Amino acid sequence: MGADGSPVTWNVLDTGSGVKGTIVCVHGNPTWSYLWRNLLHNLSPEWRVVAIDQTGMGYSERGRPRVLAQRIAELVAFCRQEIAGDFVLAAHDWGGAVAMGAAPQLPVIRMILSNTAAAKPDGVRVPPLIGIARRAAPLICQWTLGFVQGTALMTERQHHLALRAPYKGSRRRRAVADFVIDIPVHPSDTSYMALTGVASGIEALTIPTLLAWGGRDPVFHDRFLRDLQRRIPHADVERFTNCGHLAPLDPAFAPLVAQWLATPAHGSRPIPISRTTSGIYQSIDRHEHDDEAIVDGPQGSLTWAELASRRADIAETLRSQGIKTGDKVALLVKPSGELLVAVAALWALGAVPVVADLNGGIKQLRNLFRTAAPTAVIGSKMTVRFSRLVRLAPGTQHGVLGRRSRRALENGLLLPRSEFEPLRSEMMAAIVHTSGATGPAKPVRYSHGALEAQRDLFATMFPLAPGEAFTTSFAPFLLLAPAIERTCLLPNIRFDRPSLLRISHLRELAGFAPLGLAWFSPAAARGVITAPHENGVDIRRVLLAGAPIDDELRVSVRAATHGEVSAPYGMTECLPVTDGGTLGHGLFGGTNTGHPAENCQVRIVALDDIDAELPIGQWGEILISAPWMFDRYEQHWLENEKTAVYVDGLRYHRTGDVGYIEEGVLFHLGRRTHVIEHSQGPIASVAVEERVQRALKTQVAAVGVGPVGAQVIVVVIASGGKLRLADVQLAELVRTLVDHNVAAVLEGSLPLDSRHQSKIDRVTLANLVSDFLSGR
Amino acid sequence: MKVFLTGATSLLGRTVAEQLLRRGDLVTTYQRQPSGLATPEVLGDIRDAEKLLLAARSHDAVIHLAALVAPRPAWSDADSVNRLGTMYARQAAELCGRFVYISSPSVAFNGVAIMGSPTELPTYDGSDRYTRSKVAAELVALTNPKVPTVVIRPHLVWGPNDTQLVARIVTRARQGRLVLPDHGRALIDSTYVDDAAAAIVAGLDATDSNSSAVGHAWTITGNDPRPIAELVHGILLAAGIKSSPKSISAPLAKRLGWFSEHLWLGGEPPLTKFAAEQLSLAHWFDQRAVHEALHWRPVVSVEKGLQLLADSFQ
Repeated sequence: MGADGSPVTWNVLDTGSGVKGTIVCVHGNPTWSYLWRNLLHNLSPEWRVVAIDQTGMGYSERGRPRVLAQRIAELVAFCRQEIAGDFVLAAHDWGGAVAMGAAPQLPVIRMILSNTAAAKPDGVRVPPLIGIARRAAPLICQWTLGFVQGTALMTERQHHLALRAPYKGSRRRRAVADFVIDIPVHPSDTSYMALTGVASGIEALTIPTLLAWGGRDPVFHDRFLRDLQRRIPHADVERFTNCGHLAPLDPAFAPLVAQWLATPAHGSRPIPISRTTSGIYQSIDRHEHDDEAIVDGPQGSLTWAELASRRADIAETLRSQGIKTGDKVALLVKPSGELLVAVAALWALGAVPVVADLNGGIKQLRNLFRTAAPTAVIGSKMTVRFSRLVRLAPGTQHGVLGRRSRRALENGLLLPRSEFEPLRSEMMAAIVHTSGATGPAKPVRYSHGALEAQRDLFATMFPLAPGEAFTTSFAPFLLLAPAIERTCLLPNIRFDRPSLLRISHLRELAGFAPLGLAWFSPAAARGVITAPHENGVDIRRVLLAGAPIDDELRVSVRAATHGEVSAPYGMTECLPVTDGGTLGHGLFGGTNTGHPAENCQVRIVALDDIDAELPIGQWGEILISAPWMFDRYEQHWLENEKTAVYVDGLRYHRTGDVGYIEEGVLFHLGRRTHVIEHSQGPIASVAVEERVQRALKTQVAAVGVGPVGAQVIVVVIASGGKLRLADVQLAELVRTLVDHNVAAVLEGSLPLDSRHQSKIDRVTLANLVSDFLSGR
Repeated sequence: MKVFLTGATSLLGRTVAEQLLRRGDLVTTYQRQPSGLATPEVLGDIRDAEKLLLAARSHDAVIHLAALVAPRPAWSDADSVNRLGTMYARQAAELCGRFVYISSPSVAFNGVAIMGSPTELPTYDGSDRYTRSKVAAELVALTNPKVPTVVIRPHLVWGPNDTQLVARIVTRARQGRLVLPDHGRALIDSTYVDDAAAAIVAGLDATDSNSSAVGHAWTITGNDPRPIAELVHGILLAAGIKSSPKSISAPLAKRLGWFSEHLWLGGEPPLTKFAAEQLSLAHWFDQRAVHEALHWRPVVSVEKGLQLLADSFQ
């Protein structure tokens, strides 16, 4: 029955038994129920999937034009008549507005929204594509296939024909044009009030909601996502980085929805402890004197007093620009004293710095910014201009650090300490991001409580004597500098070129103050030992982190610095996990990372069952839990779901690494994805590589080829050029070194990860090897 | 157990008979020429149904190995020996109560590399006559069997005194005519003859029970795949031959194979298209299900097998 009481003929794709429930799918304009094909393929037969063709669209009846309010009423009537009991509502594009309008009137228990809107966010212009389509609706939408074809082109080729199928002939496209015309833009438009009603209606909804968003949609872009997140703060968000407008047709969409539906809405997740804190930079206030806080070349040094006053100055400027508690602010500032000042100022306001690596490439930076969704971007004149130019964060307020704040300083416009925002331990403190070396870079959220725990850990695990200074070539570690309350000496190199670090740089620093601690990435450490200085430099303790460190590097660094060298295990999500260890091999080989830090729980679990903890003496995937661990990934519901494991009320993080514990020491065996799934059980590639590498003294990679559980081992010896079979004698030698059957020994160049150029990309290599050995 | 075994003159057939005798089974063999085994034998053609059925009576099981293995057989020969022969052997087995049929992995080869797949269904587009006749024969064995039937497809069997693989490689290498496509990079699994025979014996034992092996075809291998170049090198080394095979590109090998198959006037053509394809594409299998079903595992590694082969050449 239609809204006006006259009957309506719907075309409905109704499949599945509905044992697990019913899901009603509402497509947008100008698609049709075909949009949900992957979903029903994935959910059937346990779920009853009811995908409707909206009236006037797809294969439903043509006829009278309808406005939003009528469509909502029709959907409500349809669901009341056809669906018994509770159901799930899924909607896309303008179907979302209809569905969100109908949801409050129906027994909807969960809602899935994809690239849609309930309102035009303030300050967002009408998407140009929609604007054009509206102005010339008959021409673009009805008389020609323009709009239909344009939409179809946003997905893979295989769907184009099907998406166009119901819209052959301009009479069949009338509703497409009507729909576009009905999009309310001005308060005078017919459906403006209806859409306002929808927007306020969903704000009152408390049902579990999933926002499954295509991140490359020119129409419903990220600002629409942010608007919906603001209206539905409890929504789970998954943003598909490389997917456009038609997200439901993306191969990742249906599995995501299936998993989301299978996840209990209100799991018994531990509630984080909430207490007031003054943040890790409270130390700045304890040092109101003229000691150097950071020494960054001749012009960049700051005393503690300067750090405090610059913080107050920038905080005041930012506050006057409208930055407030909880705002995410992206920092386009190179690692320097200036960066620390900016972070300190943001924390004074209770805002959240989004720290991005300026050298990850525009594409990565743009993705991170869009995923992290900052409310403002601040940086130097150059970086801000750059950000505007390449549209890193379109529609976001941009501000320049520097000149203006100096004037503010002269005028005495400082934010008094008493007006600093109070912080709480569970509040979001910062968003950093994973390196992207082992997968796409992901924004990682930290709370103030975690940062405090991290600071305390460093103080006890790697203490510094009074008067000692520390140095780093590692941007994330720099952020901890003021918290450590010692002078931080920055080497005179570009942080994005750690391999250019030389011992002469360190000697320069050591001339300023005795170095008690240095934190290097492996690339920097290799730089330090490439051009050895005969006297070396005195550093009491060197920490190496970022990738598995081999013994050789450790020994060389020790020789060059005369200090203790530790390689703590850790990752962007949790650093450190262990105390750094010493030399010494374990039962299965791998990197000795030392004892787990106090209060850090390490679980070794079975590769095929993360709930099964393995006894000592077996290797498996490493799960960790520590008070200084990250909160979660931003806008990656699925990733959070996959990597968070709850045991006895404690959240563990799945590291994706494999390893084992022997005599209390954690040994690291590389990545889970590099495990060779042999028919006699899994084999850690690192263990195979180490043996061959030690004998041949060249870089070696071991990969598994074939289906999981029946893989064979192939050893590739680095020697440049295309893959080829190794000499028979060499192959024989390799076979004698490895315990298991080695199917083939190849020679060729090893592909490296695109980012650090330091880790072998074994996944790519395995594909190359598999192709090579398959013949042709 | 009293076992009736056809085709005992081949390396594999003889090894199966020896393994059965060693464990105390009574074996009667059936083939055209004397096998030289110390066990009763009936000499006859597999196409002689009357003789076959008569000879097989009063046994407990039939193991059917007899087949025409030739690169370019006449279709009438291939069909009558491989398909009809299998039909007669099946009839004989129906008198005895159990049937083990030895098929060939080539029945599932359709010109695509096999990288760790489980045993696959037979394909019907076997491009050469031998394979087509073996596809038909496997269907004869497995279509509505009246007695417990297990089909074993031993993959690339080799060993001492092997007249198929080893002899061909050695002869061609001596003639300087041995070529490998693309430097022999394709990863190929092979089976040492003792392991293959043990798998057949395991298949025979599986017909006894409600084993999951019954009613299926099982590809069995040594589960130790190697690039074909390494395997060939190992065999040549064992035979004391110094020369190494030449390499030609895989597509060229395929074309040459086609031409020599169709235009060769002598006896055995130097290369066939099927052989060229088989040598240039990977073949190795996921053996977990087979090991489970047959309660059998290969025990001879490629190295061990090559050592035994070298000893035999001494």
